[in-house]
Amino acid sequence: MEALKLIARIADQQVAISADTVESVVEVEAITPVPLAAPHIAGLAALRSRVLTIIDSYAALEIGRSPREGILQAIVVTIDNHLYGLLVDEVVDVAAIVGDPEPVHAGLSRGWAHAALGLVEHEDHALLLLDPARIVAGSSALAA
Amino acid sequence: MDELLAEFIAETRETLEPLAGEIVAWEATPADRARLDAIFRFVHTVKGSCGFLDLPRLERLSHAAENALAEVRDGARTPDRTLVSAVLAIIDRIGELVEALAAGEAYPEDGDEGLILALDHVDLVEETAPSSAPVMPHPAPTPRAPARSIRLPVELLDRMMAGVSDMVLARNELSRRLREQGGDAMVDAAFERLSTCVAEMRESITRTRMQRIDGLFSALPRMVRDLSAELSKQVHLVIDGGDVELDREMIEMIRDPLTHIVRNAIDHGIEEPSARQSAGKPVSGTLRVDARQSGNQILIEVADDGRGIDDEKLVARAITAGIITRERATTMTRNERLELVFAAGLSTAREVTAISGRGVGMDVVRANVERIGGTVEVDTQVGRGCRLTLRVPMTLTIIPALTFSVGTELFAIPRAAIDEIVRSRGGSVEVETVGSAPVARIRGERVPVVDLGRLLGLDTSERFRAILVVVRASSGERYALAVDSVQDHEELVVKPAAPAIMATGVYAGTTLPDNGRPMLLINPAGVAHVAGVRAPDAALPARSNDNAEDVAETVPTLLFRAVDGAVRAIRLSLVERIEDVAAGSVARAGGRLRLSHDGRILPLFGCEEVVPDKHGRIRVLLLGDGENEIAYAINEVIDIHDLSPEMVPAAEPGPVAGVMLVDGIQVELIDCFWLFGQAGTLIGPGERPLCLLDKSDPWMRDVLRPIVEQAGYRVAYDGESGEAVPAVTILSAERAPEHPPAPGARVVRLRATADETLSSAGSIYRYDRHGLIAALAAAQGRS
Repeated sequence: MEALKLIARIADQQVAISADTVESVVEVEAITPVPLAAPHIAGLAALRSRVLTIIDSYAALEIGRSPREGILQAIVVTIDNHLYGLLVDEVVDVAAIVGDPEPVHAGLSRGWAHAALGLVEHEDHALLLLDPARIVAGSSALAA
Repeated sequence: MDELLAEFIAETRETLEPLAGEIVAWEATPADRARLDAIFRFVHTVKGSCGFLDLPRLERLSHAAENALAEVRDGARTPDRTLVSAVLAIIDRIGELVEALAAGEAYPEDGDEGLILALDHVDLVEETAPSSAPVMPHPAPTPRAPARSIRLPVELLDRMMAGVSDMVLARNELSRRLREQGGDAMVDAAFERLSTCVAEMRESITRTRMQRIDGLFSALPRMVRDLSAELSKQVHLVIDGGDVELDREMIEMIRDPLTHIVRNAIDHGIEEPSARQSAGKPVSGTLRVDARQSGNQILIEVADDGRGIDDEKLVARAITAGIITRERATTMTRNERLELVFAAGLSTAREVTAISGRGVGMDVVRANVERIGGTVEVDTQVGRGCRLTLRVPMTLTIIPALTFSVGTELFAIPRAAIDEIVRSRGGSVEVETVGSAPVARIRGERVPVVDLGRLLGLDTSERFRAILVVVRASSGERYALAVDSVQDHEELVVKPAAPAIMATGVYAGTTLPDNGRPMLLINPAGVAHVAGVRAPDAALPARSNDNAEDVAETVPTLLFRAVDGAVRAIRLSLVERIEDVAAGSVARAGGRLRLSHDGRILPLFGCEEVVPDKHGRIRVLLLGDGENEIAYAINEVIDIHDLSPEMVPAAEPGPVAGVMLVDGIQVELIDCFWLFGQAGTLIGPGERPLCLLDKSDPWMRDVLRPIVEQAGYRVAYDGESGEAVPAVTILSAERAPEHPPAPGARVVRLRATADETLSSAGSIYRYDRHGLIAALAAAQGRS
């Protein structure tokens, strides 16, 4: 199986996200906070005339908080008819990655384990393939 | 019904066009299953619609074609050229008939039989339709009536809407740039024109998404007619609120649930005429379907006056069906019992009917409504009827909203939920802290305050927010939101927020105002829930209806020492402010004492005998009835008491309405109505229309009377009006009148609880001032 994967950096990790789920990559400037929402809901941003729900990927992976300085890059995905922007440190590349994801045997922390679909190989590096839907669901979905 | 017909014609035309290709292809390869299916679906759909629209000719034709095609699909018949020709001839005829329908012309009757027979009598077709000439769909011979409407996928409308919204944002950006660069009159004028065009376009595209709920209701009369005929019942359908506008997608989503509820009401709710007669009800049952807007929700009520739902039976069935345990059943409240209606696999109908009652239905209805963020509630009285209320959000619709800021953030709130906006530092509003909870006193009424900044964790400082937005949530709670500043009134396009945001419960959706920064719409009911504010009715201890009248009623009353030293009382609701004014501003002018205050001249009462010392200061109560203001001089305020409305009325009308007992002391109650009447005697009592009140109801006597009088009525109590014919009679919804109103008299019924129940249907909540005034104004207009 060969498929395009978007390769992004989150907390000094390169991760892969299946490109067919990704609508676009945008730069986000102003984020309207959403008080009382789960910690991984960073807030709202406008994508032209549509409202993006911005997801703090760090919080969703339970590794702290995404940096919020300057212009932020977000990966836009649509899940259940809602538009989300997943904050990443940087989008590195789009690459065709051959082969099915392999199960992860390493002991991942809870947040990563929740979001990971498996391991994929790219340029001799093992990358975690993440499921955007699980990032959007956030780590609070684990507690439930 | 015309609308449905037009829809049918449009739909049939639309499917006929691509079908032409299918027909040709099927003719070439009659064994092609996919083509066959497409044609089958077409005739099947036409048949279904025709049955509904009462088009027997089309129905017969499509039915015959469907039968023949069904045989082919089942393998009972092999499609040959003759069959194909016969089917095609029928489809052609359907097309011609539909065009004739569209043009409003009659189509020659003859020929249908031959076409139908052709399907079965192969020979006949061989003779009449030469096999060498394949039948092709051809344009209808009659000139086509020009189409007045087109059908568009909603998705396209969405894209247009998004495009226009983008355009608005681009325009705003351009506007900013132009402002920064300074004015060129020519450019500005051109830009203005562009702006106007964009705004107009936006408005019309927005409207394309909105649809009157009429479209949904228009199918009901026919359905009710057919169903009641089928079930030998008599049903009178009353539809109201068809002009409520709702997003067209939302209309589609509630079509099935509504249909189901209406079917249920006729099938299970309304009894057979004989049963109704023996129950002492009108032979014909009434089914009321009513839509209205309530805050950011649309309420659709379906109420029948049938047998109602017996919750005992419901529980018994639920136990039998294994849905609840016997133990659970004993602890259930009435509401919980009624909720069982929505349990899967439960039907109270004694026998399963073809219409409903298979035990699938209400659970599906609820699931479908909840899927779009709505709720379904049931209210019923055995023997009296049943009412189902659908609440669906207006999200995806445009709602008028107020935007305000808390800390650095902007929020919006539906304008419909707002009662008033007051400044908490103003003289008439005070905020005090009760325990840990701030409570505002607005014109004598205590209203819980929710500090939105603190609730949302935006600003945890103890700083006091100056503006109180008094809201009434759709769930009944009334409270004041403390905010920093009010920004603007705007029409906002509200969209549902992501589930994780809706999960907080305090938001109704998101919106993107023209500045391009997303904003959250506050859900007033959700905020009340999260902040722990309860509806006044819910806060009362549960009680049975029998002793509801025993609960003592109190009116907040201000006790004060009058200028002459006597203790007097005044109903607090009329007191706007208490102020000290210079005695020098009091003068006798035009035959009475007047006070000049804040640039106005107010009639002054309370010190006719004891004229104040010119150099001192006097304390006055400023009384307002919403229109007029008067002043009443006092010595000092003693206290505020919640007093029973009972009193011994004064012998003659005058400044004192009566005497009441407060802590063992006789206190005179000021008659504010009389005072206001003195202040502005513009209308003589004879010219005022007469309003009859129930004398036995003290609330009417003391609380309602001044309001009715302000509305321009002369008040009399029932049985005391003499010969005069009242323009309107006000009755309590809860108690039977001593003197029933004359037949045909205009009656306004008031109920004591905010929520309308079946027994008080059509009444007005007695503190719903607007509703009451509107009803009185309407009565006056008629009289």
